[in-house]
Amino acid sequence: MTGGLLRWGDALIGTLAAAIVLTAFVLAYSPSGDARVLVISQAGAEPRHEPLDRARVLEIRGPAGITRIEIEPGRARCAESPGRQDICEASGWLQAHGEVAVSLPNRLTLQVLGTEPGFDSMHY
Amino acid sequence: MGTPAGDPRAGSDARDRAIAALAAIAIGIQILEAAIPSPVPGIKPGLANIVTLITLLVLGWRAAVAVTLIRVVGSSLLLGTLLSPAFWLSLAGAVASLVLLAALRPFTPRHVGPVGLAIAAAMGHITGQFLLAWAIIIPHPNLPLVLPPLLLAALIAGSLTGILTAQVLADPRIQRHVRKPAPSS
Amino acid sequence: MRLVMTRTLPLLLATALLVACGGEEPDTEQLGFYAFGTLVDLSLYPAGEYDVEAIGTAVQEELEILHTSWHAWEPGSLGRTNELLALQGEFSAPPSVLPLIERGREMEALSDGLFNPALGKLVAAWGFHQDEPEGPPPDDDTLAELLDDPPGMQDIERNGVRLRGTHPDLQLDFGGLAKGLAVERVLELLAEQGVEAAIFNAGGDLMTLGRPQGRPWRVGIRHPHGGVLGSIELDAGEALFTSGDYERGYDWEGERIHHVIDPRTGRPSRGIDSATVLHHDPAVADAAATTLMIAGPDAWPEYARKMGIEHALVVLEDRIEATPALAERVQPGRDREPLVVRELP
Repeated sequence: MTGGLLRWGDALIGTLAAAIVLTAFVLAYSPSGDARVLVISQAGAEPRHEPLDRARVLEIRGPAGITRIEIEPGRARCAESPGRQDICEASGWLQAHGEVAVSLPNRLTLQVLGTEPGFDSMHY
Repeated sequence: MGTPAGDPRAGSDARDRAIAALAAIAIGIQILEAAIPSPVPGIKPGLANIVTLITLLVLGWRAAVAVTLIRVVGSSLLLGTLLSPAFWLSLAGAVASLVLLAALRPFTPRHVGPVGLAIAAAMGHITGQFLLAWAIIIPHPNLPLVLPPLLLAALIAGSLTGILTAQVLADPRIQRHVRKPAPSS
Repeated sequence: MRLVMTRTLPLLLATALLVACGGEEPDTEQLGFYAFGTLVDLSLYPAGEYDVEAIGTAVQEELEILHTSWHAWEPGSLGRTNELLALQGEFSAPPSVLPLIERGREMEALSDGLFNPALGKLVAAWGFHQDEPEGPPPDDDTLAELLDDPPGMQDIERNGVRLRGTHPDLQLDFGGLAKGLAVERVLELLAEQGVEAAIFNAGGDLMTLGRPQGRPWRVGIRHPHGGVLGSIELDAGEALFTSGDYERGYDWEGERIHHVIDPRTGRPSRGIDSATVLHHDPAVADAAATTLMIAGPDAWPEYARKMGIEHALVVLEDRIEATPALAERVQPGRDREPLVVRELP
């Protein structure tokens, strides 16, 4: 058993590794809409940036009460917010670049951004 | 091929000495590598892994674990990085690649040679480091974008160290100690 | 082989941060506040050039004045005007409402009466003259009464600054126009303050002032059913207004009652979920968005043509239709079907 000779296992491992590398490139760089950061803008305050990396819950206090924001990897939503029409909650999960939810009573906009350059403004 | 008498596993003293010598070589390689600036910052060939692989193929899996752990601790002692993030990352990578090597044990050396082992170890190494970095040190959402180039570098470096390992193994002075493949029953 | 992380760690950090910031500093400054009954967002270009706080305060003050003056049901200039119009005697109009009345007349004529600011009573009957709109909706008799010889803008006689109402049911409500005019005012104010380029966004409706050097404005368009419909690049002096059934409304016995009332039926408009108009005049964009929504799925291109609108899109239940000129400019969002092009007659 001299060295330098490739056994079939070597070829298999090499092929598998190459496939993993290729898949990693495709997954990481394919234009996916996966949101990466949540921008929380409250009237009169500096926008706050929250990475969408791990599940957690944020509570933002506003003039009308507390807006509860749920964050999960790659997405975020307005889980509970004051306002009878539930407009903020109705926006559902924000996961594609640029998606927004607005809580007017709490003077709050939530926008998720992906890897693309952000919009200058959001029309809704 | 090696005679039973020449097998370092014959005596535990000889075996310990062999492990110590191999670990010392590995520490030396790692420190040399740390001293030589790499063209791409952060990416290194990981030549010390050759020692791990040779230990694995000559002395067996337990010896490879010992050599690797001594190397990680020893080199970080000398580099002054013990218990720093760099040390934990190094350890995570080492443990991950050892786990992969262990998983491949049943197939060596019959079906999987040094090149396959080196590639698997390299990929395991970077993945282990990455998972630790991701989970604990910098949980940044954009971090996964860095993984693919690192994996590619690991694949290339793994192939190279695998070929080098094969060359070293082919040397008659090493060959004397190499275990015979398990007799096929 | 191993990849030693001793130096990889800073590399990882740097790369991650680079990717996070898109590799460069934003060239605009953002400012958000609450005014005109909505969330206002101001993007100023170039960043670091202006006294952002002073500009924000000036814009906010201007908007507060306009909001009070033009509010359809809270006391203010328009409220007083409505009281005096109902008395049907001649009176001196507060100067702030005169431009509203003039532009309102113009839009009513342009829209063939679909946009009728004189129907405040009808809007109030549906429960929309309160901060949180609520039912019950008007019964058939009330509606029939309101639709029998309804008032229009011609029922206001104007002689200089003197006005007289000539219809007992006349009540002005400039929803669908006031915001457009407010946007126009704010852009004038920004220009006076020496702002080179900006986007003024009031509750989603927006207009550009100038444009950044070397690039267009990039604006995302939200889909009324959630998500992003697409994006559009705007040039200097372009206003983008949307009227939608999701903006204000309530549910009544399982039916969605929204605030855009069709003067022909006296009921909330049907068939179009939202209408978006791009135009250089924000007042026209605002009024046209409301008009197209009322016009409905069949007639909207006809009304777009009447109002001189070339860039419009409407969101229907199952598709999005757009004029050829706008379809060319909107970049549909990921996984969105292409816009269905609808030629203007």
